[in-house]
Amino acid sequence: MSRSRSFKPDRDVAEWKGPVVRYDLFKEVTVAFVVVLILAVGFAAIFSSPDEKPITLKSWSTAAPVDFVQTAITELDGTSGTARYGPPYNSTQGASQKLGPVSLENLAGVHIPIDTAQDFVVKPLLTLPGATALDGAIARYEGAGGAQRASWNAAYEKAAAKATYPGHLSVPSGSYGPVGLMMSDLLAMARSGALDGALTSSGQLYGTDYTKPLLFIADGQYMADVAGNHHLQGTQWGMMNETGSYPGQAWLWLYTMWYQIPPYSTSSNGDVLVWGTMMILTLLLALVPFIPGLRSIPRRARIYRLIWRRHYRSLSAGR
Amino acid sequence: MPNLVPASLIDLSRPGHYVHWGFIDISVANLVVICVMVLVFVLAITLPFPHGRKAKR
Repeated sequence: MSRSRSFKPDRDVAEWKGPVVRYDLFKEVTVAFVVVLILAVGFAAIFSSPDEKPITLKSWSTAAPVDFVQTAITELDGTSGTARYGPPYNSTQGASQKLGPVSLENLAGVHIPIDTAQDFVVKPLLTLPGATALDGAIARYEGAGGAQRASWNAAYEKAAAKATYPGHLSVPSGSYGPVGLMMSDLLAMARSGALDGALTSSGQLYGTDYTKPLLFIADGQYMADVAGNHHLQGTQWGMMNETGSYPGQAWLWLYTMWYQIPPYSTSSNGDVLVWGTMMILTLLLALVPFIPGLRSIPRRARIYRLIWRRHYRSLSAGR
Repeated sequence: MPNLVPASLIDLSRPGHYVHWGFIDISVANLVVICVMVLVFVLAITLPFPHGRKAKR
């Protein structure tokens, strides 16, 4: 025995048997392409495009040498944002965000291992040629015990908080051993541009992996200040903004909106909560044809009757 | 070497302006783009179709 199911207009729509119109899709695509091409060239001529100079280790250390040194010591003592980030850079306990009991970062694991002290400070300094005093300082630092190195680092971090740059790096004296020379030479290396090269060198002809310099720069305050001035920070809806007065990625409004409201804005798992929310919404969008109520919105909104108003007018006139 | 590329007619590299409304913070440039998109959508719906070939049964 078969049960007759009720008619649902969104599901059981009848095949159209009325009049049809020939339509040249190729012509429409060509016209759309030409119109977009003219608009793109025209707007490019009138408005140009954003051309903000990139922030490099050289430009940062030149513009804000004290901030550079204060950041560099946190890379050496392992207290920087990158050093404590967790996966994919290191395995800092409790650093990764969780979606319920699941940490997606931990599942992916540490697949871009970064030891900030070695990768950002010691190894680049060792590439400097003919630096006998520096090599001695590094050998002394590397040869010291963990407690001694921590003591030097802490002393330098305390002194660097009062550092100035009246044409040269001036750090109050303290018992920071070889760290003073290492930091001042790292600053000189960065200001010359050599540190950018050392952190992007990959053994290949062209270094295109900017992960390390970007992480180093992001640990400092300078880039955050520049981003803040351009309204690009996460708390400023920065995801959808562009530098200057250019329009940005307006289509990212929903993604960045979550970051402005609780619980996303206050949770330490904010990023993964936003991602999870967007995944659920994306799934809902993909499944619209199967969701009763949601799939009826176009029919009930009746915008189609506006688009095909001539047809519906003629229908009602014929009644 | 002289710069052979002409400068843009309208300079948009100056600091932008922003509209604040509650927790909403949007640049005027983005607002203009969104308004233009809405306008194009309304025009696309309200402007009559160009007359095509006569419908056939």
